[in-house]
Amino acid sequence: MIELQDVTKTYNAGEALVYALRDVSLQVAEGEFVAIMGPSGSGKSTLLTILGAMNSPSAGQVTIDGINVYQLGAEWQADFRHEYVGFVFQQLQLLPYLTAQENVLLALAIAKLPKATKIARAREVLAQVGLGGKEGRLPYQLSGGEQGRVAVARALVNRAPLLLADEPTGNLDRATGVQILNLLRALNRTGQTVVMVTHDAHAASCAGRIVNLLDGQIVA
Amino acid sequence: MQLTDIALNSLRRRKGRMIFLVLGLAIGVATVVALVAITDTMQTDIAVKMDEYGANILIVPKASDLSLSYGGVTVASAAYDVGELSLADLDRLQTIPNARNISVVAPKLLGAIPVLRPAEGTVGEQPVLVAGVRFPDELRLKQWWQLDGAEPGGTYDALAGVRLAQALTLHPGATLKLNGQTFRVVGILAENGTQDDDILFIDLAAAQQVMNKPDGISLVEVAALCIACPVEDMVKQISEVLPQARVTALRQAVTLRMETVGQLGRFALAMAAVVTAIGGMVVLTTMLSSVSERRQEIGLFRAMGFRQQHVMRIILSEAALVSMAGGVSGWLAGMSAAVLLMPYLANVTMPVQWNPWWAFGAAGGALVIGLGASIYPAVYAARLDPTIALRSL
Repeated sequence: MIELQDVTKTYNAGEALVYALRDVSLQVAEGEFVAIMGPSGSGKSTLLTILGAMNSPSAGQVTIDGINVYQLGAEWQADFRHEYVGFVFQQLQLLPYLTAQENVLLALAIAKLPKATKIARAREVLAQVGLGGKEGRLPYQLSGGEQGRVAVARALVNRAPLLLADEPTGNLDRATGVQILNLLRALNRTGQTVVMVTHDAHAASCAGRIVNLLDGQIVA
Repeated sequence: MQLTDIALNSLRRRKGRMIFLVLGLAIGVATVVALVAITDTMQTDIAVKMDEYGANILIVPKASDLSLSYGGVTVASAAYDVGELSLADLDRLQTIPNARNISVVAPKLLGAIPVLRPAEGTVGEQPVLVAGVRFPDELRLKQWWQLDGAEPGGTYDALAGVRLAQALTLHPGATLKLNGQTFRVVGILAENGTQDDDILFIDLAAAQQVMNKPDGISLVEVAALCIACPVEDMVKQISEVLPQARVTALRQAVTLRMETVGQLGRFALAMAAVVTAIGGMVVLTTMLSSVSERRQEIGLFRAMGFRQQHVMRIILSEAALVSMAGGVSGWLAGMSAAVLLMPYLANVTMPVQWNPWWAFGAAGGALVIGLGASIYPAVYAARLDPTIALRSL
């Protein structure tokens, strides 16, 4: 269970105080697929980074599985991200000099697991996203959709209970975007909690629930 | 995939920059190694030459009545016939633990003897100081001696100090009698401002004969190679094997030598400090630049749950690997440079020693510089805000 209570995030822009989020309260149940929609600058990505224990709110409280995330120290927050959160970034953020398998293994670099277990788990998750046999390929040797799948595989490999996706179809053509959305939906059906940020209504329609943000506030 | 794999990958991707960094460190380390190797060789060479240039330990019999002085050091007077040292004592010197540090052992038998000049048919009004010496050892000990004439070759050859020669009108080829034994003056010592100017030097065995002291020795001058040994230790060791003797370190001579040698070492250290500072700056700027380029990657690591210490470990692992490579290659280059340049830089006969421990020292030193200079970039990387870092695309 994810719970945001009266979360506000402000930034200083010179002498002016800019509200990225204002008194946002939200609950996401375990196994839910939530899409956060809104135009550019509405605070979607800020909300996602706050959910991902990466961006401390100016006010309010974030609780995930009963843990008050921002009361943890900085290094504990890192541990929390490692164990609880998988990210799929808008730019995918695959490292171009690593193969698909190595990109996935990156997320296990600090895990205290035997090397063979790490490799087995990376191969398993790549097969799960339909990339079996393409483990040794570099990102440029994969299509856009396949690169997106590698990014999803990397987010899943830690078996984190929460998958956060920031505009996962933003830079993809429609057909490839659909592939990624189908993958997220399939994962959700297996019980994976997914929170996705998007400004694309079609992408949002894949989610079980849509939360609309406008000027840092939930409007529907 | 481990943290070290990430560091290795990063180094492979930035070959040019890392080769530049290795080169920068290697040049710094090579300069220090070359300087240290050259100065070390020069120090050893100078120390050996200086140690051979005069005595630094004096052995005299323990005596209550001291009346004559020699070389600025008061010794037991032969006239009072102390004679507690013997030739057998010289062999005992070779049994001390630091015997290998003994360069020259120069025994002397001193006596005041009236001189008869057969050519003039006169006997000196007062006795002169006669020193029986082993000429090969004495000439090696007193390399500053300049002779007018020849080096003594025969048992009854003599060298006269310049003031004694003037007083007795001695010249190379002159003869004189000591207690009935005829000696031939083969050389006159040039004035050197010491008591040697007033002494007649004859062979030790001949002196023992004419002074009627078979096996007798008045004092022993010892030149010890003391760059690697404290002279006080040797004094103690000699005192133990010669309990009847008073053993004295000529501290002034030793201190002067050590100071001269130490100045060279201090120069090398000063240069090393400058080069170290420059090397550190090269590492600092290169690593900072590398971190700045990798903000996105570091942000990704942090977003995936890498702790700050994990990021620091990655950066410091890279620095360690590069530093080790720079240290070892710098050692090789520095030693090679020292070997090649030594003949042109200094008139040193001693070869540069390839000390393998210096390789560890060079690698260790480079490691300390590399890691020290990378701490700030590593901390900077570790503290990068993951959200800002990810937005830096």
